[in-house]
Amino acid sequence: MLETILKFTACCRAANFYISTAQTLDCVEHLKLIDPTDEDSFKTVLKTNFVKTQRDNPKFESLYRLYFHDMEIDIDTEINEDKEIKDNVVDSLKNFAKQENDPTFNVLMEFLSGDPHDYLGEITDIHNRIEIQQAALKSNMGQLALRLDVMLKINKLRSRVLELVKGFGENAAPESRENVELHFAKLLDKAYEILTKEPRPDNVGLKDIKNTDKKYKNIGEKPFANLTPDEMSLTREVIDQLVKKLKDITSRRFMSKNKGVLDIKKTLKDANKFQGVPVNIHYKNKPLRKGKIVTLCDISGSVWSAARFMLNILFSLQDCFSRVKSYVFVSEVCDVTSIFDNNEINDAIDKIMSEADIEYDVPTDYGATFSEFKTNHMHELNSKTTLIIIGDARSNYMNPHAEILEEMRAKCKRIIWLNPEPLNTWDTGDSEMYTYKAHVNEVRPCQNLNQLFDFIEDLVL
Amino acid sequence: MDFKSVEDVQTRLESSNYIPSREISTVIFLAQATQKPVLVEGPAGVGKTELAKAVSRCMARDLIRMQCYEGLDETKALYEWEYAKQLLYTQMVKDKIDHLLTDVTTISEAVEKISSQEDAFFSEKFIQPRPLLKAITSDKPVVLLIDEVDKSDPEFEAFLLELLSDFQVTIPEIGTMAAKSMPFVFLTSNNYRDMSDALKRRCVHLYIDYPELHTERQIVQMKIPGIKDDLLDKLVGTIGNLRKLDLKKKPCISETLDWAKSLLALGADEITPEILKDTLNVICKYKKDEELVRKNIEYLV
Repeated sequence: MLETILKFTACCRAANFYISTAQTLDCVEHLKLIDPTDEDSFKTVLKTNFVKTQRDNPKFESLYRLYFHDMEIDIDTEINEDKEIKDNVVDSLKNFAKQENDPTFNVLMEFLSGDPHDYLGEITDIHNRIEIQQAALKSNMGQLALRLDVMLKINKLRSRVLELVKGFGENAAPESRENVELHFAKLLDKAYEILTKEPRPDNVGLKDIKNTDKKYKNIGEKPFANLTPDEMSLTREVIDQLVKKLKDITSRRFMSKNKGVLDIKKTLKDANKFQGVPVNIHYKNKPLRKGKIVTLCDISGSVWSAARFMLNILFSLQDCFSRVKSYVFVSEVCDVTSIFDNNEINDAIDKIMSEADIEYDVPTDYGATFSEFKTNHMHELNSKTTLIIIGDARSNYMNPHAEILEEMRAKCKRIIWLNPEPLNTWDTGDSEMYTYKAHVNEVRPCQNLNQLFDFIEDLVL
Repeated sequence: MDFKSVEDVQTRLESSNYIPSREISTVIFLAQATQKPVLVEGPAGVGKTELAKAVSRCMARDLIRMQCYEGLDETKALYEWEYAKQLLYTQMVKDKIDHLLTDVTTISEAVEKISSQEDAFFSEKFIQPRPLLKAITSDKPVVLLIDEVDKSDPEFEAFLLELLSDFQVTIPEIGTMAAKSMPFVFLTSNNYRDMSDALKRRCVHLYIDYPELHTERQIVQMKIPGIKDDLLDKLVGTIGNLRKLDLKKKPCISETLDWAKSLLALGADEITPEILKDTLNVICKYKKDEELVRKNIEYLV
């Protein structure tokens, strides 16, 4: 039993599902208290110890199914003749893999022999591989080629199995041959599924805002990208009014230090310093703490029209946050906080387009952006930071690297994704919105003024 | 009284008016047997807090509840010195202090003498225990419910680690206070933010989702015994359909119960679109949700 649990734990780790030694120990301890032959109880013990948030449940479920069902670990019930043929086929395939002298064949052979550990590790590597590329010649070919290579090898093994089983001819019962053929076909299908379908986290806490109040009738509903110059200046005026209103409300909120009920204990405690004279009066109301905001804005194409208004509001409301840090990107990340700190907001927005060190004639690559952010700016995120990403998630079919977004989520308080595209175009074409949605705390459309206001009010108040 | 088996948990929770799934019973049994805290996750209103209450009832233990919120600190969660009492005592024993210092000639000697007595003022006598300290210093084991832990600050979460791993707390002036009895700890979370790995690792995890039809039926039947079978079937079916809609706030078990009570109060024998419309404000908490339900009313009933 212990060995089974340890092997399963190793497989989970190979698939990027981290399980600590303490968790394994607890699991083994718990298994002593139940009847492990009752699958429901057995699974509950593994789940309660290994899955520490519902987000990890789909991954656990898929690994559990693979290890305890698809791999058919329990081979005692197997008919002897089938087992003999299977062993024969595995031996022949191992010889074949030896001749081919290829590491992928070797891990696939381990998989077919009932040990998925190395194969899971290899697939995790392929999914998460970060390629260093020249900006102008970007492609996702490296990763695709690796996946294609595994696919071809799966197919090669599939035909090899058919040949081998056929080779038994009259020496094996047709039923046994069929069983063995089915067994390997199922395993190879599973290997293919692991390669092509990665389980997505069950994002139970996701705040998915789709509808907003229609506060402003005409200008409020018009997409930012379609605004005329007159409408843009009108939008700016409306934004200024909103900023003023929000500043008033929040300043009242944050300045409530000297209001409320008298905190007698604190006042007396402080009075000890002055021979019992209450020099400093303390109140029970604690002023709210301000959060830190980090924004990551895609400034390619139509996304910029929404991002500029969002940045305009956020930097106008700087007093409401302890710090606003801003990055823009197309395929590389550029810190533009200093431009906002040193210029008037509207000038700063114009300067970003003209002066910031950004290359515009390259395809947007969200995966590369996240990877660069992780390397150079991850230290800006902490448990009190709200990360706001504004983008259409159109990554030109590059590797989306959602696992980095997951790491960013683990480092900060919340990730909010604002998408300036209409809702019905999300998840179409090269959009990775469906992938990223599983890793953020909140998603919202941010196409017009009403949607932007709704978001800002929710964020600030 | 401790649980003896998973079946024992199941029976005793049911007798405490809580209908648990097999998974819930197993997790509760394991957590109690190995003295591990339970981290309960799930949407609002599925019975996370109620589970802790039911466990306290069926184990005949007191329930100590601590509601978490932004800004919660150890003075509200763990302990606070009773400064007023300390001050009062200092005034009351002033003569005694003067007496202590009668034969003292230098200031440093006086300080030395007073500091040797300072333990008298920083002792358990002057501590005002808050929920966490109450839970571990209680002579009888209790059920400690740390509700909505995701609303607390990360600092507070870090502070909980010592308590949850070793069942002890450190008070700088006194030292480490170990638990007199082991509390059965429940932490609940609505997933507003992710909890730290360190905290999650110390707990066994339990996710409670909206109940399945037959479980919800059992719950309503248990809480509102007079309800007719036909009406009950339609009621849980309609609630199930409502949960499939993209609502801002999906109806939870307490809303199902409220709706059932409202229907009984109105003397309704069946659920029609008109009745649903009339009682919609019991189920929907947002105007937008009400509009969405009205649009789909024919399909829902």
